[in-house]
Amino acid sequence: MSFEETDQGTYVVLTPEGKFNLVSAPLFTARVDDLVAADKARLVVDLHAVDFIDSSGLGALIGGLKKARGNDGDLRVAAAGSQVLAVLKLTNLDRILSPYPTVEEARHDW
Amino acid sequence: MKMPPGTGRQEAEALAHDVPADRYDRVVRLAQAIFGAPIAALNLIGNDSQFTVASVGIPTGEMPVEDSVCRVTVLQDEILEVRDLREDDRFSYIPAVAGPPRVRFYAGFPVRGQSGRNVGALCILDFVPRTLGRQQREMLADLGALLERELAVQEEMELAGQVQQLMLPTSAPDIAGVEVAGRVQPAREAGGDYFDWFAVEPPDGGAKRLEVVLGDVMGKGLAAALIASEVRAVLRGHSRYTDVSDAVARTSTTTHHDLEANNRFSTLWVAQLYPSTGVIDYVDAGHGLAIIASQRGYRRLYQEYVPLGAPLEDDWVKATDVLAPDELLIIVSDGVFDVFDDSFEAAEAKLHAILDPTLTCRQIVDRIVDFAVSHAATDDVTALAVRRVAPSPQPAAAAA
Repeated sequence: MSFEETDQGTYVVLTPEGKFNLVSAPLFTARVDDLVAADKARLVVDLHAVDFIDSSGLGALIGGLKKARGNDGDLRVAAAGSQVLAVLKLTNLDRILSPYPTVEEARHDW
Repeated sequence: MKMPPGTGRQEAEALAHDVPADRYDRVVRLAQAIFGAPIAALNLIGNDSQFTVASVGIPTGEMPVEDSVCRVTVLQDEILEVRDLREDDRFSYIPAVAGPPRVRFYAGFPVRGQSGRNVGALCILDFVPRTLGRQQREMLADLGALLERELAVQEEMELAGQVQQLMLPTSAPDIAGVEVAGRVQPAREAGGDYFDWFAVEPPDGGAKRLEVVLGDVMGKGLAAALIASEVRAVLRGHSRYTDVSDAVARTSTTTHHDLEANNRFSTLWVAQLYPSTGVIDYVDAGHGLAIIASQRGYRRLYQEYVPLGAPLEDDWVKATDVLAPDELLIIVSDGVFDVFDDSFEAAEAKLHAILDPTLTCRQIVDRIVDFAVSHAATDDVTALAVRRVAPSPQPAAAAA
């Protein structure tokens, strides 16, 4: 997995691609850690290019969310495809990580 | 410390039969390149065979141990170097020496297994007689030590997998009127999926219940397996003294620190079944993959609670259903669901394959797990099946 990153000033958009799993999750986690440490704790994860997520990927998102919230920020997910939405729904983690249809809506108050 | 001579032939057999793809290839390729030899190999010496598990210049595979040079190397603790195999009575008769490809030179370094006994050798071969210098001998020994470490990792992982398998229930629960079977197929040697069942006898003297559990700790491999065995043990402990709601909530509290510290969560599906009435009390902590099915159709036993370890403490209040005598309770892990692209419609289309009433629970879980594995499941795969049967003195059960 590779991911694009766009710093919009008040928030950062991360755009992972492909499979978000055990292999790619540590890369994502390390990047979120760096951003939060640099006081960039408002994060939008644009998931439109992720075609598969597993529990490790979910774990990375929840871990990132905890880290961001611990630093007065937040991590929000946007534009998730059907598999990602199904997994979020199945595990009820959408109650913690509510999916936004677009990046614009995810960042509405930032 | 000088290791005693003697070989771990049994250990080598076990290692050779479960070699992870590519694990030893890099070191063998390095040996081949460093020595500029046409052939390099890691050979394990089993009871009757030599197993070439990684190689350059010759194919991997099995050959009679009598035709092996490494069988002699494993009897010693240092390099065996033979300048010209043709001139050495111990080896001149070997087909690959006497005939094509007419190997002349051999140098091998014995490699130890976890037991401390030699299980094989890293060797290089050439078609012309050669002699190694002191530095080259040291280099071969260093590469051998690298392989030893890789072998130790393989053995540790396999042992961890065995420990985890042994923690699964293997005998019928001590309760009449139910048939139950479960199976886990981890993606690696060990994993984050587990199932459990046991009889719970309420302290107030109420009716005996069967508790069944399917848990899935996020991630794969040894780290997930460690957390899974903690969740299993804690839930077992709490379940003996209270109902499912309380057991899950207390398990969450008890394991919270460890899940949090490791940034992991665990889905759990836990139920207590009263065999005589079919009443099922259950809690679904973010698992979502339990159904009751029969020829009449299926329904999900599903709640909106989050997994344990998520940054939200739910109260996990139990729900209740009734398992009719002709119905089957099936719980699977997401490794199975992934094969259906996480679609209930796709899974439903396959339900008929397990609803044949002549199938045992054992056959049902085998069908589910085999189906998932044959459809390239990448995650741990687990299935658990439960149904009520006419009470008999010896209820059937099986596990693997």
